[in-house]
Amino acid sequence: MNVRFLILVVVFMVGGAAMITQATRSGAAPMMMPSDLVQSKNDFPRVRVAGRVSESKVTYEITPKAILYFSIEDPKHPERGSVPVVYEGVRPDMFASGRDVILDGAFVAGTIQATNLLTQCPSKYEAPDPEKLYKEKHKTEGSSAKLATSV
Amino acid sequence: MNNFGHIALAGAWLAALVGVFLGLYSTSKAASEKSGLLTRLVEGASRATIVVFIGIGSATAALIYGFLTNDYTNQYVWQFSNRDMAALYKVTALWGGMDGSMLLWCFMLALVSAVVALTTTAGTRLFGGTLAVANSSSLFFITVVLFLTNPFRAVRASFIPPDGNGLNPLLQNPLMAIHPPMLYAGFTTFSVPFAFCIGALLSNQLDNIWLTLTRRWTLIAWLFLTVGIILGGGWAYVELGWGGFWAWDPVENASFLPWLVGTAYLHSVMVQQRKGMLKTWNVALVALTYGLTVFGTFLTRSGIVQSVHAFASTDVGWVFLVYLGFIFCITAAFLFIRRRELQATARIESFVSRESGFVLNNLIFLSITFATAWGVMFPVFSEWLTGTKQTVGVPFYNAVNVPLFLLLLGLMVVGPMMGWRKSSIQSVGRQLLAPLISALAIGALLIWSGVTSFYALTAYCFAWLIVVSVMLELHRGARALSPSAVAAGYPLVLKRHRERYAGHLVHIGVAVVAVGITASMAHKMEREVTLKPGETVEIGRYRLSLNTIDVEQLKNFERYFAKLDVIEAKTGLKIESLKPELRHYFKNNETTTEVALRTSLRDDLYTVLVGVEDGGKAASFKIYVNPLQIWLWIGGVIMALGTLIIVLTPKNSPVRVRHTV
Repeated sequence: MNVRFLILVVVFMVGGAAMITQATRSGAAPMMMPSDLVQSKNDFPRVRVAGRVSESKVTYEITPKAILYFSIEDPKHPERGSVPVVYEGVRPDMFASGRDVILDGAFVAGTIQATNLLTQCPSKYEAPDPEKLYKEKHKTEGSSAKLATSV
Repeated sequence: MNNFGHIALAGAWLAALVGVFLGLYSTSKAASEKSGLLTRLVEGASRATIVVFIGIGSATAALIYGFLTNDYTNQYVWQFSNRDMAALYKVTALWGGMDGSMLLWCFMLALVSAVVALTTTAGTRLFGGTLAVANSSSLFFITVVLFLTNPFRAVRASFIPPDGNGLNPLLQNPLMAIHPPMLYAGFTTFSVPFAFCIGALLSNQLDNIWLTLTRRWTLIAWLFLTVGIILGGGWAYVELGWGGFWAWDPVENASFLPWLVGTAYLHSVMVQQRKGMLKTWNVALVALTYGLTVFGTFLTRSGIVQSVHAFASTDVGWVFLVYLGFIFCITAAFLFIRRRELQATARIESFVSRESGFVLNNLIFLSITFATAWGVMFPVFSEWLTGTKQTVGVPFYNAVNVPLFLLLLGLMVVGPMMGWRKSSIQSVGRQLLAPLISALAIGALLIWSGVTSFYALTAYCFAWLIVVSVMLELHRGARALSPSAVAAGYPLVLKRHRERYAGHLVHIGVAVVAVGITASMAHKMEREVTLKPGETVEIGRYRLSLNTIDVEQLKNFERYFAKLDVIEAKTGLKIESLKPELRHYFKNNETTTEVALRTSLRDDLYTVLVGVEDGGKAASFKIYVNPLQIWLWIGGVIMALGTLIIVLTPKNSPVRVRHTV
């Protein structure tokens, strides 16, 4: 009995390993930062990129198909440049300049042709600083309202 | 409020520490020799567990109170709420961010531990050991909250802000309000069987008593987790507008992994209770389930994998890894130390037997778990091994997991047909014959009506087989009990074998879920179109005509509504109107869409307003038809119902199977 079970377990492991290896090989995509792509001369048939939507122009065509054009940059190194992205699909909720996104697609001739685009939930961001926010707000509004000081 | 919260957390932390020590001491030899000491130690540990709950409960209540009273002296309250929010969402904002959600986890963990302390009627070393482990879990999580992710921090300003930052509108949705607490309830409840298991190993009471005591807990945990996961899928479907419900996102997978192993565990313990076998398996499975719940929360908070769900990447990750390592070492150590007591009291005699079916079940579930974990961790592993970070996407998971799940569906058909100890292929064949013929007929019918995908056909046929074989078994049982009036036999059978048929009901629920998933994915229809008012588009059995485009201006955003008339293409009759909505927020120039959905038993018509142009003269849509989508949710309800029936069956009821304790 034990031999038969051992064989069963081995079959599972081998079969499973084969399936996983095959599926991995055919689907794996390198994960890259936009700055890696800016400097790259190669094309990548499959790539996943995580980055921040840059402040430059975002265009959204809706006819005849929904196509979103934007640029993506390293959140930590925006000075290294940004990569243009073309995404054929509905603009995801919460998509905006300055938001972090993850996209899957192909990198061809300097542009990412995205097939999958996900916006990260804004609540994950660096905790906003109430002091800074209110100082900015009162600078623009010129309000002289007194604010209660904390205990 | 901040000071109170700190004190309450610190008190809970100390109580947990006391609980661990008293519990551990109670399992020692010294305690067992003086019975008075044992009772007092266990009672002390029990009281400490309750104090932990009081501490965490007060802290949680204080934070909720802070939300409800708009207390912006607290950074967390300020960050995740504002004055205008509905009260419900002020409460749910508790788990809107990392710190509060960790506190919620602590709360639920303390709650289940306290209930265990209050309801377990055993002043024994097993109980003491269990309390030690339960409190050690609480101790870990309270440490994380108290020292690393403390929600009771003062607001980062020199003044009290007049209003809060507000909760992300995507989270202000009723489904999002129940989904995290349900999931956390599932995760934390799985700590109970784990605590009893390690308690049993500690106190060397390795008969089946710990299984009997934890059976209901395990089912409750599984119920919460199953409902939580399905609710998450439901929320994604209704809110996110991509027409789907599961994306194999790392955080989704993080909740799925403990579910998979938990389901295997839930089944595997039946073998131990009946036959005294698979004891080592079960220790490993329950430890793995609990470990995966910790791993899941680690994934979500550490930032090691990219996910849209993940909280901000912080430094808490390594603490979880240390705890996971600790759990692993303790479990492995005990598996070795107690190996003789964990030896099976019987052996598996035949390949074709219920026992071997359960072993196969464990193997399949573990394979799916491994494959999914592989996909999740692949970026990390590939970077370690090759230097470049690689990821795998949805095609990977589907390629590996779909065949495995189909295998599981097949096992759900033949498993119950196999007898304990020794069955025969002939016996299974006899039970399988009629259902199989009907399944082949169904398959032929499906092929004739255009279904060509092998996987879809297999899924449908297996689902059919699951349902039919249960019905057949019910019928045979009814005929045996009441040969002259079979109809009277049905309630008799169900009453006598209530648990077995409740289990069958859960399996039927799974079959229905499988049909819903298969149909809505394999036969999905999709169309993108721009329409002017009066123009129509056809999709599936529907014709949609754009009636009007309206816009409404509000303070923070403007809303576009498109009214679509839904007509049944064949008859030309109008069914209803759908109004998908697009909201444009002025502040960040961002948009959200509100899906307009028509659900029916046959299919879902799912419409998304993609954009409005020419100042309202034309609108673009993305439209899906998802066949049989509702059956996924219906199947989930059936699964929950079946589980509830088992949970609510009273312990002393004669219908319960007599376990060999």
